[in-house]
Amino acid sequence: MNLGTRKLLDRAFTALGLGSIAVMAMMLLVVLVPIVSKGFSAIVFKSTVEHRKMVFNEFHRGNRSALEKEIAASDAARRNVYDMLSRFESELMLMNEDKQQEYTEKYDQVKSALRGLLGPLPGDSEPALTRLTYGQNRWEKAEEKLQELLYEKKWDYSNPDVVAKEYFVSRSAGFEGTSLARLFPYVEKNIDRMLLPEWTFYWGFITDSSVDSHIFGGIWPEIQGTLFLAIGAMLFAFPLGVIAAIYFTEYAREGFFNSLLRSANSTLAGVPSIVFGLFGLAFFINTLKVSESKSVLAGSLTLAIMILPTIIRAAEEAILAVPKTYREASLGLGSTKWNTIVTVILPAALPGILTGGVISLGRAAGETAPIIFTAAVSVGSAIGLADVFTSPTPALSWNIYNLASEHEAAAEIRHVQYGMVLSLISIVLLLNLSAVILRARISKKLKG
Amino acid sequence: MIKQWGKALSVLAIISLVTAGRAEAKSGIVIDGSTTVGPLAKSFAAYFDKKYKVPVTVSESGSGNGAKSLINKSCDIASMSRSMKPQELTAAKSNGVNPVSSIVALDGLAIVVHPSNPVRSLTKAQLADIYTAKITNWSKVGGPNAQIVVIQRESNSGTQESFKELVVGKETPVTRSAETQASNGAVKNRVSLTRGAIGFIGLGFTDSSVKKVAVNNVMPSSATVKNGSYPLSRPLFFVTNGQPTGLIKQFVDFPKTSDGKLIIKELGFVGKY
Repeated sequence: MNLGTRKLLDRAFTALGLGSIAVMAMMLLVVLVPIVSKGFSAIVFKSTVEHRKMVFNEFHRGNRSALEKEIAASDAARRNVYDMLSRFESELMLMNEDKQQEYTEKYDQVKSALRGLLGPLPGDSEPALTRLTYGQNRWEKAEEKLQELLYEKKWDYSNPDVVAKEYFVSRSAGFEGTSLARLFPYVEKNIDRMLLPEWTFYWGFITDSSVDSHIFGGIWPEIQGTLFLAIGAMLFAFPLGVIAAIYFTEYAREGFFNSLLRSANSTLAGVPSIVFGLFGLAFFINTLKVSESKSVLAGSLTLAIMILPTIIRAAEEAILAVPKTYREASLGLGSTKWNTIVTVILPAALPGILTGGVISLGRAAGETAPIIFTAAVSVGSAIGLADVFTSPTPALSWNIYNLASEHEAAAEIRHVQYGMVLSLISIVLLLNLSAVILRARISKKLKG
Repeated sequence: MIKQWGKALSVLAIISLVTAGRAEAKSGIVIDGSTTVGPLAKSFAAYFDKKYKVPVTVSESGSGNGAKSLINKSCDIASMSRSMKPQELTAAKSNGVNPVSSIVALDGLAIVVHPSNPVRSLTKAQLADIYTAKITNWSKVGGPNAQIVVIQRESNSGTQESFKELVVGKETPVTRSAETQASNGAVKNRVSLTRGAIGFIGLGFTDSSVKKVAVNNVMPSSATVKNGSYPLSRPLFFVTNGQPTGLIKQFVDFPKTSDGKLIIKELGFVGKY
């Protein structure tokens, strides 16, 4: 190959390398930017006065007098709306029966749209569900609800042989000639005076429990559950994994039994996580009965089995990477084998072992399948440390799935789901970061 | 050599100590089962948590799993959108569990299609034909010329069992081309995004993103489910091991109280009491 071709190939390869790095960075951006931006929208958003009412009533936070002033101001703006409603109602009573029927249905739709926006109307009985007690908490949702109030979405079914098209009808046109027609322009113009939007940093999203199955409030029980499960899994898996690795590297003699054990370990690392989940249910809960039903303990044990092979592998690699001279020097000074392992080899291998451990910790925090049957529930309060042996817990990974697919109001609370995703990713990132720092400190200490 | 075994043993001892520390009274209520009953159970749980400070945990894993949990004694209440099957009852008996059902609420199985679908009403026979692939095009039932995308629930679902019992027939299999979704929410989501789709969900899950279709010319609503004129309605159950007592009894009887009735109504379900 002549020099020109070689150079060309060299450049081409460099370009390819840079190109793939650029593509990877792009992919990372495409994935991370929406996660971060949407996730933060759960914490930083334009809140309405209804949100501040909710926080004050449910969590007893906020300034009472400032809130009362705000409520008074918004009520002043709302009073016109309520007056218009009652005026229309008396007008409705005077109409003939046909007209009454025609208007009643439309009027009910207007009322329920208004309830979605402002909360219960005067004269409504007090709702039992918290979600109906407050109007829109978030300004961007309130704007959506406003559109629903102003325009009705209809489908054109006139021709049954073709797929219908949607079209929007102004509701105010439907009330042409009645006193209610004035309501729509009034609400559109004064909506910000009725809801008083302002930018809020809602840190309670991290520290509060959820109210009315995640419609309001925060995700603390989920975050806590995730931490409990991950840390619990580590408590079981880390010591066992390190001991197994020491056995494999220091004590086991090469032979059939040893290679069998090793391949079993590798196979275990490749088993799909749902299999561990079912195994956990069958073994820990139904056979060993570590708890009466799902519990953090059963979930942690299941996760521990799942991450055990990774920990063993990482620890083994780390121990093997310790230079042979260390061992020889220690033994040469008359130290016993066990003493050498504990005082020389393990400290030298510690950074590598810890890295493997923390990576597994991140994996344990993010796994869904092993905890579906062993630990996770869709609704539950934050549990105390004493309850981990008996109580199941909500956990981020499972609740993200639950909110995405099973929740009855999934479309209304997407922001909660996004917030959970961001929290989960942040937890895993923080764990990994702490591993990096820990590793750097230990390495430094060992060198110094 | 002895020393290292000592260390290993001490680790094992610590683990077993931790495991043994679980012997402790259980105070909360554990509920497992139907995704259809889920919203009710979750709202009741929130109410009990707030009012009586009783921790209630709710899992939505399907009626079949609820029954299994009850039989394994791993839950206090199984929420179910169908009654217990004979084989489940025998399994319960042999495990020393005595399932006692009480009705939470009534629910209509709403047949839903994409809002762009002009079809207003189907008969039960037409529905059966659609789900056994005898009818595969909407034009056969008065709609546009479009393929019907049949959506069903997984075999673990009580909603699926009820639908089969009420419409297709217990022994008749649903067409193999039917797509399976794992929860009411997932079916609703799929139908709201697919123009030719048809699916069935609990009445409490319907909203404006999908269009309800009348069955035998009766629209599903609280009124038609309650008076029995809507043909696809069914009771929802809380199943306990033996006659419930104490807190669990209070929870199971909650639908009979005025607050319970109000919550059921507000969630779009139909009160039985």
